Amino acid sequence: MSDLTAKMRETAKKLFEKGEVVYVIGWEKGRFPYQSPPAFITSAEDCDRLIWDEFCLAGTAKYLLDDKYPEGKIGLFVRGCDSRAVNRLLQDNQIKRENVYLIGIPCAGMKDPDTGETAKKCRECTHPNPVVFDELIGEKVPESDKPERFDAVNELEKKSPDEKYEYWAKQFDKCIRCYACRNACPACNCRECYVDQYRVGWQGKQNNRAENQVFGLTRAFHISDRCIECGECERVCPMGLPLMELNRKLIKDLNELFGPYEAGVDPEVKPPLGLYSEDDPEEFM
Amino acid sequence: MKTLAKNKLNEAIEILAQESKVLVPMKVNGVSKFAPWGSEGTLDFEAINTLLPPKDALFPHTEKMYSYKVSNQEVTDLTVHNEGDQQVIFGLRPCDMQSIKCMDDVFLTKTFVDEYYKNKRDKLVTVCIGCTKTAPTCFCDSMGLNPSQHEAADVQMYDLGDFYGVEAQTEAGEKLVAKWQNLLGEGEVTVPQVACTLKVDMTGVPQKLAKMFESEIWKNFSRKCIGCGTCTYICPTCYCFDIDVKNKGNEGYRFRCWDSCMFSEYTRMAGGHNPRPSKKERIRNRFLHKLEYFNERYGKNLCVGCGRCVAKCPVNVDITLFIDQLKEVPVNE
Ligand code: SF4
Ligand code: SF4
Ligand code: SF4
Ligand code: SF4
Ligand code: SF4
Repeated sequence: MSDLTAKMRETAKKLFEKGEVVYVIGWEKGRFPYQSPPAFITSAEDCDRLIWDEFCLAGTAKYLLDDKYPEGKIGLFVRGCDSRAVNRLLQDNQIKRENVYLIGIPCAGMKDPDTGETAKKCRECTHPNPVVFDELIGEKVPESDKPERFDAVNELEKKSPDEKYEYWAKQFDKCIRCYACRNACPACNCRECYVDQYRVGWQGKQNNRAENQVFGLTRAFHISDRCIECGECERVCPMGLPLMELNRKLIKDLNELFGPYEAGVDPEVKPPLGLYSEDDPEEFM
Repeated sequence: MKTLAKNKLNEAIEILAQESKVLVPMKVNGVSKFAPWGSEGTLDFEAINTLLPPKDALFPHTEKMYSYKVSNQEVTDLTVHNEGDQQVIFGLRPCDMQSIKCMDDVFLTKTFVDEYYKNKRDKLVTVCIGCTKTAPTCFCDSMGLNPSQHEAADVQMYDLGDFYGVEAQTEAGEKLVAKWQNLLGEGEVTVPQVACTLKVDMTGVPQKLAKMFESEIWKNFSRKCIGCGTCTYICPTCYCFDIDVKNKGNEGYRFRCWDSCMFSEYTRMAGGHNPRPSKKERIRNRFLHKLEYFNERYGKNLCVGCGRCVAKCPVNVDITLFIDQLKEVPVNE
């Protein structure tokens, strides 16, 4: 057992013993060594299920939406990405800060179960240290801006419009519209997604190039300035769509238009599209 | 047994492709699935099972049912779309063959025959290639299958290294094999035996589940589910669909497309009531359908043990762990 796993269990146990939390969300071992899925811990005795290893890939924060009016505090283990997701939900008025107790864990990066290499979302992560927490366990890890995470976008921008269309059309031909990307995404926190407003008919149900693109592009635009770059959408996509290229194209454009912004890092700084400022560009007016 | 040298495989498939659409395991744009012979992508006969099952061939993701034009409030030009080519699925695995049997039960038996399915099924010939390796997530032998062969396939082939053993098991299979007459040899064949490493014990599971509608296990087991459609869309036996229309001006068409019991709006009724309001009810439905209801109605499991959902659920909601945990759950009678 790693030191951090022991520390995790001990911390969670203490929280239960003090009556601080009603349950805790962390990770546990799955059937295979390369699986450490999210776990819901409901008692002090249960805490020994918790685990910290290189396969804790899934995000924890989105589960807060399943229980918006909890009977007490929810204990949530947060890495950098999860903590930004918490900020996302706070800023979008989805949860109340007093309903969560955040145990921060600095994260050295997870492994991709298929390759055994550092997971893509972790290679591209700019904030492995939690940005918000009530208590921190473990040592802080080095972090950097990683401008190279925009490399793929820069490459794509060199393509002609037709080539770009061809590239994305081919990607969206693969989409099976399982909506895993949306369901894993902390920025997709609408009470009712436009996709599910079937009576209005925004989103047709057929699986074809046009409808798939409508979904992918609409979602990308909806979350554009609120995307915290956790990479969960891309990780969970069973068809391997390069969704982060889409998200980062929008982030890059927003940065160029409204100045640099990283969503979910500081809950006091509003997303550029959620804020009116007199020096906003207005080329189209 | 008849034999087919592997270096004659392309020629053999080419012969079939003269008369039918032949679907073969391929990697297309990074996705492993069954795709038409000759289409863009790379052949992948090494795949243990493809990421996407072959169910699309019989039950397309989206299928136009009929189209119409309307003038003066009258329907004109009503056209039913139920064409479809002769098809061969070449190289499907025993688990996927079993999934076709499950779908046959659903779409062809018990009073209602689905003409759209039937038309495709009547025109389908199945060529199964037995597995000689299993993936860590395969558990078909625990679900009563034999990973080496499936008796329902029209043609059963055995991978024997440099060549295949070839056995016709039905009349359609005989006809198909007859086309290969000039390519086939004859040889002694020992059918390779293989077993899954992942095991579950299905003894008494359907019977136990029949009494577990109100069990606590559903809440606990469903908590981490994110309610996506991954497990159901990559499952070879999930067959839920929705029917909708697409209209433009005075014309339109009705289509059906896959739907998933894991989606929140799947059970939403007119008026807004939702009898399966949370993931607890949805997970319960999925697992009971796979392991209990289907047994009750058709005498077989609706899970064939292909392991796709075990491998691909983004949060590892694992049907095999569920079956394991069931052992420890008390039943309140
Ligand atoms: S769009 Fe993707 S990367 Fe951005 S917040 Fe949502 S899941 Fe995370
Ligand atoms: S896709 Fe758009 S409407 Fe749907 S949940 Fe995401 S942000 Fe909301
Ligand atoms: S997760 Fe991937 S396949 Fe599923 S809807 Fe999103 S983009 Fe499409
Ligand atoms: S069980 Fe897994 S794959 Fe299925 S809906 Fe839930 S999260 Fe998605
Ligand atoms: S439930 Fe899972 S293992 Fe069973 S047939 Fe479906 S995808 Fe395969």
